[in-house]
Amino acid sequence: MFKSYTFLFCLFLSSASVFAAPLKVVTTLSTFANLVEEIGGEHVDVVNIAYPKFNPHFVQPRPSDVLKVKKAALFVHAGLDLELWRGPLLNAAGNRNIRPGTRGDLDLSRGVGLLEVPDRKQSRAEGDIHLYGNPHYWLDPANGKIMAWSIGEKLSELDPANADMYRAKVAAFHTRIDEKVEEWLARMAPYKGYEVLGYHKQWPYVVNFLGLKMENYLEPKPGVPPGPKHLDFLTSYAESESVYGIVQAVYFPDRASKTLSKRTGLAVVKLSQNVGDTSKVQSYVAMMEFNVGQFVALFESVASDD
Amino acid sequence: MRPILSSFFVVLLLVVEPASAQEAIDKQVDSLSEQVEALTELLESLQGVVDRQQDRIEALEEENADLLGEGESEVVEEFSPPDSPEGVPTATEPRISQSLNPDIGVVVDLVGSFTESGEDEEGNDRLSVREMELTIGHDIDPYARFDSTITLSDFEEVTVEEAYVTFWGLPWELQARAGRMRPKVGKATALHRDELDTVDEPLVVQRYLGIEGLFLTGVEVSRFLPQFIEPLSQELTLGVMEGGIGEDGSLFGETRRHPTYFGHLKNSWDFSPATNLELGGTYLLGSSDEDNREDVQALGVDLSLRRNFASSRALKWQSELYAQDRDDAAINKSPWGYYSLVDYRFASRWGLGGRYDWVELVNPDPADSDDKDKAYSAFVTFYQSEFARLRVQYQHADLATGERDNRFFFQGTFAVGVHKHKIQ
Repeated sequence: MFKSYTFLFCLFLSSASVFAAPLKVVTTLSTFANLVEEIGGEHVDVVNIAYPKFNPHFVQPRPSDVLKVKKAALFVHAGLDLELWRGPLLNAAGNRNIRPGTRGDLDLSRGVGLLEVPDRKQSRAEGDIHLYGNPHYWLDPANGKIMAWSIGEKLSELDPANADMYRAKVAAFHTRIDEKVEEWLARMAPYKGYEVLGYHKQWPYVVNFLGLKMENYLEPKPGVPPGPKHLDFLTSYAESESVYGIVQAVYFPDRASKTLSKRTGLAVVKLSQNVGDTSKVQSYVAMMEFNVGQFVALFESVASDD
Repeated sequence: MRPILSSFFVVLLLVVEPASAQEAIDKQVDSLSEQVEALTELLESLQGVVDRQQDRIEALEEENADLLGEGESEVVEEFSPPDSPEGVPTATEPRISQSLNPDIGVVVDLVGSFTESGEDEEGNDRLSVREMELTIGHDIDPYARFDSTITLSDFEEVTVEEAYVTFWGLPWELQARAGRMRPKVGKATALHRDELDTVDEPLVVQRYLGIEGLFLTGVEVSRFLPQFIEPLSQELTLGVMEGGIGEDGSLFGETRRHPTYFGHLKNSWDFSPATNLELGGTYLLGSSDEDNREDVQALGVDLSLRRNFASSRALKWQSELYAQDRDDAAINKSPWGYYSLVDYRFASRWGLGGRYDWVELVNPDPADSDDKDKAYSAFVTFYQSEFARLRVQYQHADLATGERDNRFFFQGTFAVGVHKHKIQ
C-alpha cells in the first residue's frame, strides 16, 4: 500500500515538472519585457516596473512593484545609471536571488556598444549626466540583437531544458532584425546627414544608426528644462542651419517644442522610446519601425513644403 | 638465455663426441631457421594490423574534425554574442573599480523660520542648517546590507539618526532590520525630513512622536502577505524597540528601559499604472515612565492616494490619524489628532499644496483656553533639479495656549553624491 502511495507521489512530482510553472521575470522597462516575451514565449511570466508613458529615469516604485521583485527568479535591467530607483527597489524587495551579480540578475548593458562614454571627470554641473555612457542604447538594433542574445543565454542558463527553443528564438529574432535593418536603412538612405533638434539627449543611438545628425537639444543640459534664452539660441540656430524638425519622447512636455515650432516652422515629431509608450508600438521591431516611419514622414513633409 | 644454453650444449657435443656433433649443429641450424621464418611471418602479420589500425585512427580523426568544424561554425553563427555597433566602445571598467566603495551622499537642509512667536525656539527668526545628513550604505555580504544616516546641525550635537542592518533571505520570506532606525509605522515619521512634502513634520507627529519623528534602536521583521486579489499588496511589520520617544514627543515617557512594541499593516491597491491607494494601520504599545510598563497604546491610520498625470505632473493626498489610550495620569486619557495634506506637482519644476493639522495635547495646561493645536499650511515648491529643491511655506497656527502664530518657512534642500530615497 505504502509503495502505491510512493509511486503516485513520484508520478505527481514528475507530472508537476512536466507542467513546470513559467519563469517569473521582472524587467525595469517595457522594451526589455517585450524582448523577454519574444524569446521566452510561454515559458516566462514577465512584468515590467516602469510605466512606458512616463520618464524611466524617475519612477516611484509602489509596494506592488516591491512584491513583484521579491517573487522574481530573473531581474532584467538596463544597468549603467538609467534607473536611479533600481537599487532602492532591490533593497526593499530583499530577494537575494536577483541581487547584482547573482544568477538571477541580467544587466543588458553588458556587451552592448555605448555612445557618449565620458573621457573625463564628470560633474552634476553638466546636468543629469550619465557616468558610464548614454544608457538609451536599446534604440540601436545592433544593440537590440546583443540584448536578445543576452536574454536567450540567461534563460537557457536558468531553464536548460528549453535552451534549444530560446536559442532558436534568438536566431529568428536576429534574422528578422537583419532583414528590417536593410529595409530601414534603404528607406532612410535619401535623408542621410539630415539634422534634427532633440528635446532630451536620448536619441544618439537611433540617430547614429540612421545616419542622421542631432547636436542641439531643447534642454540646455540633460534634465534641465528649456528656458527662454536657450529657445532664442535654438531659434537663431534653426534659421541659420539646415534643420528639418524637432523630435521628442511622448512623455516630455511639448510646450517648449511647440513654441520653437511656431517660431521656426519646424514640425514636432514624437518618437517611441519604449514599447507601449504609444498604442502603435507593441514590440521592439514595431518601435524601430515607428521611429523610422516618423522620420521618413517628417522629411517627406519638409520636401513637399519645399 | 635459451640461445646461450644451446650454444653451450653444441660446444659440449663437439668436445665430447665430434662425429655426432655435426648432425646436432645442422639440426640446430634448421630449427633456428624455422623459428626465424615463423617470427618473420608473425611480424608481417602484426605490421598489417598496425597499418589497418593507423588507417582507422586517421579516418576517425578526419571524421571528428569535420564534426567539430561544423559545430563550431554553428555556435559562432547562432549563439555567440553579435558584434557591437561599429566604432562604439563597450568598456565599463569604472563600475568594477568603484563597486566596493560604499554609497556616500550628503543632503543639506537649510531652513529659515520667521514667526510672530516670542519664544526663542530652535531656528526661530533665523536661517540655519537644520540638518546636514551624511548617508553611508553598502551591502555587507550576500545576506545583509548596512545603512546609516549621521546628522549634523547647528542646533545640536552630531546625531546618529539611523544605523541599521537589513537582513535578507530569512525563512518564510521574512526581511528584518536591526539597529537605530525609523520604524515602519505611519507615513510621515518613516521619512527623513528632506523627503517630506512640507518643511516641518505634521503637528500630530511632532506632538506625539517627536518634532523630527520617531527613530530609536530596535528590531523589526516584515513580510508581504499572500496576495489574494491581484491589485492588492499587503505588508505586515512587527517590531520592538527601546523605550522613549522622539524629541519633545509625548506619546511615551523618556525611559529607555521599558521596550516599545509596534506593528504596521500596509495595504496598497493599484487602480492603474498611474494611480495607487495606500491604507495603513499602526499599533504602538509603550510606557509613560519608568514606574509604569506598557500603559500607553496608540492606534494609527494612514491613507495616501497618488495619481500621476504625466511624468512631471502628479497629485498626492495623504492623511494620518493617531488615537491614544492612556492609563497614566494624563489629563486627557484618549487624545487624538490628525493631518491631511494635498500636494500637486503641476509642472516639471513647480508644485503647490496645503496641509491641515488638528491635534489634542496629552498634557495641556489646565489654565489654557483649549487642549488642541490647530494649523493651516500652504506651500510652494520649486524643483531646481532632481538634486536641489526650494520651498516656501506659510503656516497659521491656533495653539492650545490661546496664542496665534503666523510663521513663514524658507527651505533649501540640496543633495550631492549618491542620493537614493528608500521606497515609501
